[in-house]
Parts: sequence; C-alpha cells; structure tokens
Amino acid sequence: MKNQNTDNFEQCIKCTICTVYCPVVPVNPAYPGPKQAGPDGERLRIKNNYFFDEALKYCLNCKRCDVACPSGVKISDMIQEARINYSQHSPKLRDMMLASTDFMGTLATPFAPIVNGVLPLKPVKAVLDGVLGIDHRRTFPKYSGEKFESWFNKKAAEKQKYFKKQVAYFHGCYVNYNYPQLGRDFVTVMNALGFGVNLLDKEKCCGVALIANGMSGKAKKNAMHNVEVLGKAVEKGLPVLTTSSTCVLTMRDEYPELLKVDNTAVRDSLSLATKFIFGLMDSGKVKLAFKKDYKAKIAYHTPCHLEKLGWGVFSTSLLKMIPGVEFTLLDSNCCGISGTYGFKKENYDNSQAIGAPLFEQIGRIAPDFVACDCETCKWQIEMSTGYTVKNPISVLAEALDIEETTKLNA
Amino acid sequence: MASNKQNEFDVIVIGGGITGAGTARDCSLRGLKTLLIERNDIADGATGRNHGLLHSGARYAVTDQESATECIQENMILKKVANHCVDDTTGFFITLPEDDLAYQAKFVESCTKAGIKAEILDPEEAKRLEPSVNPDIIGAVRVPDGSVDPFRLCSSNVVDAKLHGAKVLVYNEVIGFIKAGDTITGVKVYDKQTHETAEYRAPITVNAGGIWGHKIAGMAGAQIGMFPAKGALLIFAHRVNGIVLNRCRKPANADILVPGDTVCVIGTTSTRVPYEECDNMKVTPEEVSLLISEGEKLAPCLKDTRILRAYAGVRPLVSADNDPSGRNISRGIVLFDHETRDGIKGLITITGGKLMTYRLMAEMATDLVCKKLNNGNKCETRTTPLPGSGEGDVKEVSKKIWANPTTAQKATVGRAGSFASKIGMQSKEDLSLVCECEEVPESEVNNAIQNLDVHNLVDLRRRTRVGMGTCQGELCACRAAGLLGKAHGCAERARQDLVDFMNERWKGIYPVARGESLREAEFTEWVYSECLGLGDEQ
Amino acid sequence: MRFDTVIIGGGLSGLVCGLKLQKAGKRCAIVSAGQNAMHFFSGGFGLLSRLPDGTPVTSPFEAIDSLPDNHPYRLIGCGNLEKYASEAVTLLADCGVKTTGGGKENGWIISASGKPKQAWLALDDITFINSNEEKIGNSALIINIEGFLDFNTSFIAEAFEKQGIRCRIASVMTPEIDRVRNNPSEMRSSNIAKLMSRETARSAFMLEINKKYDDDDIIVLPAVFGLNSDEDVIGIRRNAPAKICFVGTLPPSVPGIRTQMKLKRSFEEMGGVFLMGDKAVRAEIIDGEVKEVVTENLGDITLTADNYVLASGSYFGHGLIADYNEVTEPVCGLDVDYCKERENWFNPDFFKAQKYIGFGVKTDEKFRARKDGRTITNLYVAGSILGGFNPLLEGSGSGVALTTALCISDSILGR
Repeated sequence: MKNQNTDNFEQCIKCTICTVYCPVVPVNPAYPGPKQAGPDGERLRIKNNYFFDEALKYCLNCKRCDVACPSGVKISDMIQEARINYSQHSPKLRDMMLASTDFMGTLATPFAPIVNGVLPLKPVKAVLDGVLGIDHRRTFPKYSGEKFESWFNKKAAEKQKYFKKQVAYFHGCYVNYNYPQLGRDFVTVMNALGFGVNLLDKEKCCGVALIANGMSGKAKKNAMHNVEVLGKAVEKGLPVLTTSSTCVLTMRDEYPELLKVDNTAVRDSLSLATKFIFGLMDSGKVKLAFKKDYKAKIAYHTPCHLEKLGWGVFSTSLLKMIPGVEFTLLDSNCCGISGTYGFKKENYDNSQAIGAPLFEQIGRIAPDFVACDCETCKWQIEMSTGYTVKNPISVLAEALDIEETTKLNA
Repeated sequence: MASNKQNEFDVIVIGGGITGAGTARDCSLRGLKTLLIERNDIADGATGRNHGLLHSGARYAVTDQESATECIQENMILKKVANHCVDDTTGFFITLPEDDLAYQAKFVESCTKAGIKAEILDPEEAKRLEPSVNPDIIGAVRVPDGSVDPFRLCSSNVVDAKLHGAKVLVYNEVIGFIKAGDTITGVKVYDKQTHETAEYRAPITVNAGGIWGHKIAGMAGAQIGMFPAKGALLIFAHRVNGIVLNRCRKPANADILVPGDTVCVIGTTSTRVPYEECDNMKVTPEEVSLLISEGEKLAPCLKDTRILRAYAGVRPLVSADNDPSGRNISRGIVLFDHETRDGIKGLITITGGKLMTYRLMAEMATDLVCKKLNNGNKCETRTTPLPGSGEGDVKEVSKKIWANPTTAQKATVGRAGSFASKIGMQSKEDLSLVCECEEVPESEVNNAIQNLDVHNLVDLRRRTRVGMGTCQGELCACRAAGLLGKAHGCAERARQDLVDFMNERWKGIYPVARGESLREAEFTEWVYSECLGLGDEQ
Repeated sequence: MRFDTVIIGGGLSGLVCGLKLQKAGKRCAIVSAGQNAMHFFSGGFGLLSRLPDGTPVTSPFEAIDSLPDNHPYRLIGCGNLEKYASEAVTLLADCGVKTTGGGKENGWIISASGKPKQAWLALDDITFINSNEEKIGNSALIINIEGFLDFNTSFIAEAFEKQGIRCRIASVMTPEIDRVRNNPSEMRSSNIAKLMSRETARSAFMLEINKKYDDDDIIVLPAVFGLNSDEDVIGIRRNAPAKICFVGTLPPSVPGIRTQMKLKRSFEEMGGVFLMGDKAVRAEIIDGEVKEVVTENLGDITLTADNYVLASGSYFGHGLIADYNEVTEPVCGLDVDYCKERENWFNPDFFKAQKYIGFGVKTDEKFRARKDGRTITNLYVAGSILGGFNPLLEGSGSGVALTTALCISDSILGR
C-alpha cells in the first residue's frame, strides 16, 4: 500500500540519469537498475506487491543515484524500503553474523589474538566460504584486543571533565572493536582544540548492517535505543560527533526515512567530526597549528555515504589546509564494498569490479596513503591496493602540533 | 464494386466501442457470420473515456433500482468471464462531515434490495483498509465495486469475435446504407486509410455507434433523440487508493476515485454539449479545478499527487420517444427495432446503457438479431470467458507460464491475462523494453501490431499502455515508432505517426501541466526538438 | 564557508562561469542539485537558428539585431557576442572538449531521427556538415546494436535516402553486449558506453562490423562511445573500414556526459569546489545584496562570497517552478517574466513554439537579478533560467548558456 513518505517517486521525470551513475549495473546485469528498482518499480509495487523483485538485494545502497538525480527522488530509500516491506527472504546465518557487528565484536574482542590468527587460516576461510558464503578471498578487519570503550574509561575519561567545552562521541562498532586508534586520535584532536569528549550512555550499533541484511526489526530497536541515548547528550547541550560517515548518515537520515524512527530531537546535533572542526575553523572559534616538517602525498576517496551527505568538502578542506600535503581528490567512484555487501561470496567479484577504476587510479597516483572517512572503504581499499587508508581525523592527529594547538585553544 | 461472397454477412455491427465489440462477439459465438465496422480505432469513443469503474450498482441503488440490479448482475459475470480486465478492489461509499449520515441507512437498504452486499464499516476500520481516504470520514459502507480496463475489455471482445470468424474493419466509416425498398440490405463504407469505398451486405445491421449512432440512424432515415453529455476526468500518476472511493450521497460531480492499473481516475463532471462538439472534447480550467477540489475531499493526498492528464468523454444519453425535449433522460439500455418503430427493416439500434452493462446490451441486441434471422442459438457470454480470462490472478498465471517471471512478463500478464502465453516472450529480443513506466516489452508491442488491429501509436497505446505511464510517451513513443515503422515498412509514416501521437498526448497534458508535469513536458519538448530534431521543419 | 564566487547550478553555464573565474584566480564553489541537462545534449551547440517569428537564420551574428530588446543576445551586444562565442570555443578546448564549426555561418548536425538540424558548433565526434543538402556519402551502412531501441535506424535511413544516400541497415551483437541485454531496463546508451570503454569489447564489436561492411562510403553508428574519455571514440574511428558517422541516441547522451565530465574535472583541477547533489535552498538578501546561500547539505555552515551566480536552469533544473497560474524562482524569490494568462502558456500543437519555455527571471542590462523591482547588485544570472528567449524555438539554448556565463564572468572580474 501507498507509503506517504516515499511518494516523491512522482518527481521522477524518467530522465535516466540515475542509471549512468549506478556502479552495480555495469557489473551485474541481474540488477534491474536504479530507475526500474526505484521509481518505476514503486509505481508497479503500489499496484500489486507481486511486482517486488528480489533482485533489489543487489543494490549497494551507495546512494549515488540520489546524488545524481536532478529531480530529488529518494531512489535508494525507495529500494531499501521496498526490500523491508516486501522481501520474502529471511536473512541467512551468514547475513545475521555480518550484520551483528556489535555482537560479533563483543564475542571476538577477548579472543582477538585467536580470532585474528584463525580468520586468515585457510581451513577457517574454507568453512566461512563454503558453509557461510563469506568469500574466502576477503581479508578480515582485525579485532582489537582492547575495546575503545575500555581504553577510554581507563585512560581518558577522567581528564575530559576539565575541558570547558564538551562534545559527545558516537564511536561506532569499528572504533570500538577493530580500530580503537581512530578513537584515540579523535580524543587527542578534540582535546587539543579545547573540547572534552564524552561517550554516550551505552550506544548500540547504528544498524546500517542490519538494514542491509534484511533485519530491519533489530535495526529499529537499535535506532530507538540510540535516539534515546543521543537525546540525553543533546539535552545537555552536547553536539554528537562521529568519525564514520556511514554511522552519521544512518542515524541522521535512515532512522526517519527507512526505519520510521523519529529523530527530530537529535538530528541537527549529529555531525561528522571533520564537519564540526571545519565549522569551528570557519567561524574562527579554533585555531590549528601544524607540525613544520609534516609531509604527505594524500589521495582522498569520498565514501558514497559522505558524497550523499555532501560533507566531503569539510574533510578535504581540512586536509588541504595542512602545509606539506600534496592533495589529490580521487574521482568519485564507489569502492565496491558497501558495508557487508562485498563480504558475501555471491557479491565478491562484482564488488571488486565496481572498485576497479578507483584502485587503478590510486595505483597511478601512488600516494603515501589514502584518506577516507569510512571504515569499510578502508578495508576494501587496503585489501585491494595495498595502500594504507587513514581517517582524516587520524591524519590531523599526525599532522597537528598538538602542544601548540592546545596552547592556541586553551 | 461488385458484391461477392466475401462482402456478404449475416449481420453487420456498426461501432467498435464496447457495445459493438460485445455484440459482434455475441453474434459470432452464436454462429453468425459477422462484420464489425469502426470508423476509427476500437474503444475510441466513450468506451475509452470514462472512469473504468466496475459498478456494483450501489451508485444507482437509491435512484434507479433497475440499473442497480443490472449492474450487480453484470459485475458478478464480468469478474468471472473477464477477470484479466477486472480489478476486484471493492469500493467504499464514504460519508464526510458535510454529508447527511442519515443517507447511509437508506443507501444500505436500497443496495440490499437490489442484491448488492453493502456492509457498514467503522470509519477507523475503513481508514486502516484504505489509508488514502479522507481521515475526517464519519461513515463508510463497503460494496463490491471494482475497476475494469475498458480498452482491454473491448479488445478481448474483438479478439474473441475474430477467433469465432468475425471480420473486423477499423478506420472504415459507414457513409450510407444500401436499401431495397424499405429494407436495409447493407452498408457503404469508406476506408480512411486506402481512401477506397466498398459495400458490405447483410440482412440485418446493428447500429452500436454510441453518441454517433444518432447520425447513423439518421442516414437510414430514423430519428433518435440523443443528448451528448460531456464528462471530464483527471488521471493521477499513480494508484493513490487501492479501493474505489465514492461519496455516500446523491450522485454528483467528481465524487468517484477509481484505481485502475497503475493510475487512479477522478470524475466526473456532467455537461450537455452540442452534438457538433462530440468529436473534439476539451476540458476547461473550471472543470479541472472542480475535479481537484472535489477529489481532495475523497483523498486529501490528491492535492500533492501529480496529475497526468485531463480528458473527457461523451455519454450517449437517449431521451424517451415521447419526450423530444430530452428532459426525461434515461441512463438505461435502449434497444430500437427500427422495423416496428420506423418501418425500416433490417436495422436495429442498441444504445444508452453503460460500460458495465455492455454484455447485457450485446445479449439483448443479439437476441433480436437472432430472432429476425430465425437463429435459435442461446447466448453464451454469461459463462464463456473472454480470451485471457479465467486462469487466475497475475501471480498464478505468471507462475503457470514461467518459472521466474520477469517484471515485464508479470506486467504483460496483467494486461493480457493467460493470453500472455501466446505472446512469445522468451528471447532477449522479445523482452527488450519499449515502455519503462508500464513495462511493455517488444514482443507485446509486436503482437499488438500483428494481431490486434493496430495501425498507429494511439491504437498501440490502447492495446498495450505504451505511452500511458508517467512519461506520456517521452521515450517509449520513439521506440514504439521504430517498431511500427519496421512492421509497416514505412519510416515516413511512423515519423508522422510519432508527431501525431505526441500531439494527442499533449492535448491531455497541457490543461493540467504544472510543477513536475510541466517540468517533464519541457524535458519531452527538449528530447523531441533538440535530440530528435522533430517538428523542426526548415 | 567563504569563496570569491558562489555559483548555483552545475550545468553548462554554471561550469563555464566557474571555469573562467577559477582560471582568473577566483575561488569558486558550484552547488549542483543533481546532474544537469548536458546529459541530454545533442552534441550540437546552437547559437541561433530561428528568429522568434520562425524565420530561419543562417548567419547568427548578423541576425542579432532582429531579436527583441530584452533578448540576452541583445543585452550582450553583437560585437561582444562574437567575442564570447569564440572565447567559449577556446575555453572548451582548454578543457579537452574538441569541437568543429564555430564560424560565421550555422552548420548542421545529423539529429537522432536522421534529419539534419542546425548547429553553430558541434562536438568533434558528431558529424558536422555545412549545408543540409550536403551528402555525407553515396552509400551508408547504418549499424545498430541488437536490442538497443534508443537508436532508430529506419528513421535515419529514411532521412538519408531522401538525400539520395543509399542505405543498408544492419545490427550487430557480441557476447559482451549480450550480457548487458540480460537486463532490458538497463539497455541504455551509457551502459553500452561503459562496456565499450574496454578495448576487448570494442575489438569484438569492430569484428562484427567488418563482417557487415561491404564497401559503403560511411558507417553510421549510435553515439554510445566514450563516456569518460575520447579514447573510445578514437579507437573506433582508427579501426573502422570506412568513415564513421556518429548519430545521437535517445537520452542519456554519451557525448554530452563526457563533455560535462571534462568541464567538471577541469574546474576541480583548477581548485574549484563542486558540491554535487546539494541544493541551494535559500539566499539571504539584505539591502539589495546577497549575503549568504544556505544549502540543504551544509546546513548551518553557509556559503558566502562577494558575488553570486544563479545558473540553476529552467524548469528541468528547478530554476523555475510552475504552478497553475504563476511561475516562481525558488531560491531567491526573483522577479519572473511570464504571462499572467495561463491560456497563453501553451500551444495545442506540441511541436510549435511553447510560450512557457520562454519564461525566465528578469535582470538588468548586466544580467543582475531583480527582486521586487530592485536590482540585486551581486547576483548575476546566466543560462536557461533567463527570460527573454525561447531556447527550443530559436535553437539558442547552449549559445545563451555559454555567452551569458562568459559575459557575467567579465562583469564579476570587473572587466
């Protein structure tokens, strides 16, 4: 039946531009394409839900169709929503495992050395591949031995209250389980800028992987929990920052649009760390001092979700601001991983084919490292090119003269 | 032209609207050698210019029990014999705060009396079942209304008539009758495409020309008092409602919203128009604003819903013979035996009625034809399914034909029913997509061109929905023109046809163009002018 | 976020303006609400091929004086128009967009329906002829890709045969194209172009063409080559047994997209900021000056600049919004030139001049916008959002986009 929120499919004037920018179509003809899967299909599904096509699952939800659409049609939301409403397929065990990033992380963390040791082993990969359908060629993000939250509570929490200005940090699963260093870099940078960092009152996974794997019920529960804990921070007047473009997009836009969870109380307080810092710089509220000898050749990849948010300009502006940085903006292409999509055996080849132009361009440029605001792009690019990928916040942490910056903003 | 066997028939039916098509089918099923003549395309007149409401009869229950009873009977028959043309949506008669809720009881009582199941619903339940309905409703009654695709219905009747030996002439206009004394023995026909005239003979001719039947009868020397009543309607770009919405009050303007295939239709107005205007109906700005404002009362979201087009049809209203002023208009079925009425043998007229009762009208006309021809065969159309009907819904039929039906295959089944299995849709070429909005594949277009009397793009639209979607021909018309050019072996004709088709679409678009629809019109102009260089005669 | 100039609209006029300013050392940001009309570009830039009364024009510069006073070309002035027109050719070339034509007289391109259509300048890969009578050969082999319905070979053959060109129609297929065909809704020009960007796909395609070729003078192909670069077009030409004539398809336009990508890439390489997929929602106007532009994505971080350019296009780009009885400009609420009586907006003949297409915002003689009758001193308007001309009737859409963009850039640079 008609959904009042998505009937903006009527704005579609059939110009077919979306199809030009869809990364899936050229590599996977089984996907009907954004125009058919989105506005054209929606009209048919409203007529009769028998017109729902399970091939919609091949959509990466990269949202490049939305960005390209000159008519403002929310194509990707329409596709995801159709999957939520009509798909008959229940998620496989594999999908549930991939989707439950926090659950898996909690289980794996105490055993990180073992998990990290075991995951790359051939027999384990064979089981993952054969039994679960997780492609054996895929390298796994390593699980960290100490969760970011644990580190923060032990080593950093205490001194945060001495800062006059405060922010809240939604670190996300990746920082917590796989790469706490990014969280530490964030704390370093924010502290240098004169901001104390607060964690939320027990955040849950933003839910992006749950949505993508057909577990919208669980995603909705997470969303309601997160809106509540975010609300507590916002009530205290704290902006809530993330270092992941996907987490912020999910909480800002997918909660209300797809999961129908009202986030109006917190939406405008959610931001990406680079946007927040740029805003402070732009309005002259903070000053940055960089190391004199910092030198780096950086190629920046705009993650799909950041492209959709339109906030890539903040990350790139900050990086370009660093003296000694030779900056290249990579062509806007999807890297192909799209969260858990590229982990699945059936998608592996498509995933790599989608990312190929990006990998080739990185190879041609031969930077010192790649910068990117997304953790899954990081896995994909690192695995596929051999280049290290750093979050712009980590780059700032490296390039800033922390002592001098701290003085400037004291 | 000399008369020969090929030009001799048992019965000639004039008019390829639903009444004529139904009559030709009924005659053919009863073994008569039948000729159907249509001056334009089938379903070109009032047949294709109405709501497409499958009346339960409820609308007439209070004011006209006879029509109501006819409707519910035909409703139940069509759901069986034409299920691929019918969408069994059910309908609500809603009461708004401005309406008198007392009317509801009278309405339900009248429905029950006519044999129409009318069930009072709690307004909350009605809102749950039909989320688009005006949330202010204070009453709702559920009746077995539905929607019917008149193009498909008409075409299926023609197809079945042909399967039973009938000959069909489209773009052939009757220009005169052949008479022997006081008996009509045949018709003179002008072929609009070849510009040739021909004569066809039959002991009996049925005038099923709708509003144009007035003129046809006139040619034979009989006078019928017909009064053209224009009804304007608007098509919205998608199905806003899943259930037909009516107002529970005395029938008035713009009080029915019918979901039909991918769109929904609001209507209608009712204005007497001069007979001369019948061939060129225009929708006025006043009619558009009336339809919108009344439509919003049924479903408030229509306010923000894109309107695809405006169109108008002409109801063939017939005045009673004893009332030449036309004040005492009947919407019922009128069957004239001109032998008894006017002393003209060999001619009968079937008119009045509605889309809903076409089968009954055909049966009545055919009964009279058979009586005159001493043919004792009984009518079978109550139980014999039309081609494509009777094998289940879209899902069931699709699954019977294909293991994993594609979107276009499903869409074709939606239009052709089980007949889809006869349209080869296996190869990639067959499945190349012509119309993206309505998912019409190349094979369906080619089938229509080869087997369904399609001579131009407008005909093709009526058979397949090409150009009926939100783009209104923006891209699909070009593709279809290519296929038509190939089939007819004449690109020049196809090019001109494309121009004509876009003009036909534009006629219905510009009266309602604003916002996104005007934006799309500009884009379409751009494609045709800049990219295709059409209309750029230098 | 501060720039020297903020440009609303990332189509031809917005990009050309941004390129010229960025080249002159000004920092520019372009806000583009999605992709633009370059995606439907025929490949031919029209300057002026008809006067508003329908009189055909062959020498566009000479015809300028016959245009109405408020026509953008009249505001630019005839001498300046020639200057900007040739500047446009150079600017395009600097971005790697090679063109032919661009002289005093209009030439012709072959439209997607095969009929010659007037154009002043054409992309290099589009066949450009000096006269609509000019035969491009005595015999043509018109080739389509099997199942590609967006290229109408029979229309093209019919138009060619009227000119006395013998035509043969053939269609070809390769296993790789066949894979694209598995998806009927995506059998579109841009997807074929993506496939054809692979050398192997092109060789296989060329092999099939050679099988069909039989000493024809020219080979006509759909313009479905080279989405990202000229290399694919060059590759096809190099290996073809005869002269190749590319003819446009139904949208999307591969040559148009390639052109847009080149312009955008050049703009970004020069340091310009292109905000794709963002929408200018509001401009703060105080005392006849724009102070800042608010966009949907940037939210509380607004765009500020010395000068602003509105190049948001006509209805298609949402530069203009039409309701039943009025036409408005949504970002700044500018004064729009349109006729009040709706019955005059439309011609019942779809192919005749449609008045609504000629509506647009009012400006002063320097293309500075007007709001409530007053000039906004730092807001310049360029391209199809302008009033005073009917791009489709006159064949002047790209000409106005290019020349007004260059003209206002000079004003912004104080030249």
